Amino acid sequence: MNRRRFVRRRPFSTLGLLLLIAVLGWIWQERVALWAFPDIISAYTAKEYCSCRYVMNNDTQYCQGYVKQWLPFSAFVDDPAGKRVMVSGMGRSNSAQWIGEHQGCRLNP
Amino acid sequence: MFKGLSLLFILLLSPTAHAENWPAEQWSTGPTLTGPALEALEAYAFPTRDDSTRKGIRTDALLVIRDGQLIYERYAGPTTADTPHLTWSISKSLMAAVLGVAYGEGLFKLEDPASKFYPALQKHPAITLADLLHWASGLDWQEDYEYAPLKSSVVAMLYTRGHHDMAAFTADHAEYAKPGEAFRYSSGDSNLLAAALKNIVGPARYPDYPWNALFEPLGIRHAVWETDATGTFVASSYAYLTARDLARVGLLMARDGRWGEWQLLPKDWVAFNRQPFDRYKAHQDEAVPGGQWWLNRAADGAARPWPDAPADTFAALGHWGQAMYVIPSERLVIVRYGDDRDGSYRHNELLKLAHQAFAGAVQP
Repeated sequence: MNRRRFVRRRPFSTLGLLLLIAVLGWIWQERVALWAFPDIISAYTAKEYCSCRYVMNNDTQYCQGYVKQWLPFSAFVDDPAGKRVMVSGMGRSNSAQWIGEHQGCRLNP
Repeated sequence: MFKGLSLLFILLLSPTAHAENWPAEQWSTGPTLTGPALEALEAYAFPTRDDSTRKGIRTDALLVIRDGQLIYERYAGPTTADTPHLTWSISKSLMAAVLGVAYGEGLFKLEDPASKFYPALQKHPAITLADLLHWASGLDWQEDYEYAPLKSSVVAMLYTRGHHDMAAFTADHAEYAKPGEAFRYSSGDSNLLAAALKNIVGPARYPDYPWNALFEPLGIRHAVWETDATGTFVASSYAYLTARDLARVGLLMARDGRWGEWQLLPKDWVAFNRQPFDRYKAHQDEAVPGGQWWLNRAADGAARPWPDAPADTFAALGHWGQAMYVIPSERLVIVRYGDDRDGSYRHNELLKLAHQAFAGAVQP
């Protein structure tokens, strides 16, 4: 049979093909989570830095260490006048904004 | 000498010496303690702090109330007595207290379906408010924070797919068990409670309700509670209080929901908070769940989670080492804020050392 002959002659290609199909299947199954995944680092950093700085009133140096993760971010803007924090990383940008005395900070949509 | 003794005698006999202490604008302070037991506690809670590696136990605040008086407090790192510190999941227990006030107003019953107050739950009509309070919605939620970021429901809820409307994101989860039949710790369940509260008290009262119902009656002046974009309180994670203010909620709970002469939370509400959820299986979590509080109770054949603390100890616990322990039998409330990133902190160890330092001197 042709299929059997292909598997015997090209065992590694076959394995690679099966792996590729499995990976593509997994990507399809997890597409929503995977698409959202790169947002985590910038959203987390923006939100938790905003709260560290403008809700808990800690200093900038402490808050930088407080939000540090194993993944780096590429851009970081803290606007103290507007109490707004913008962070980019993994190709995505997110910002958080201090709203008020009761409501603290919130991620912008 | 004689004068001092007679003064002490008068103090002991006078009715005010036996009256209950309650905090006014500030906590009154009790006798300051010293000695080897306190030194051992401090050595455990406040080792040399390394903010660059973030390794080891990093206590930000430790505060102890005994008999309604402040008897110990110490701060470290950037935290001071005025810092409204992030409580993380202690917020869940705070939301339970807020709900307790609404319960006292007669606005809902524990067995009410949650969909009665939060219509997005109509796809899960059997979930009751009691189920949500027990973290037993049966919704297929994944609570991991750092270790499984792709699959984590809580990371998606707080930072990506769910952050606009956290309750709706939760309600979109499938069911893995029938509501009320299995415990699975879920920040989503807590945010469904926050969404239900909106219609329990009505949208007009909702934005100020935690302050009007709970914080202001207790004299808490600087509480922050962040919301999602729909204005729903992030009951799972984002309440901020000073250590001194959080301890006021602890004292309220230690005294069965009573604040001075005022029964702010109905006694049966606090009893529900402190009643172990009977479907909890041994070792499913680090303590035994009650109604949005954690209990030091033997359950399902397993010993108490904190063997060196009294069996009536209950707690509000949060990520990175946030904790408030309430020990009614020893008339103690202990607030511990931290920034532990490696899990080396142990509740039982702190409770053991605190017991040795503070409980021994309690008069009968």
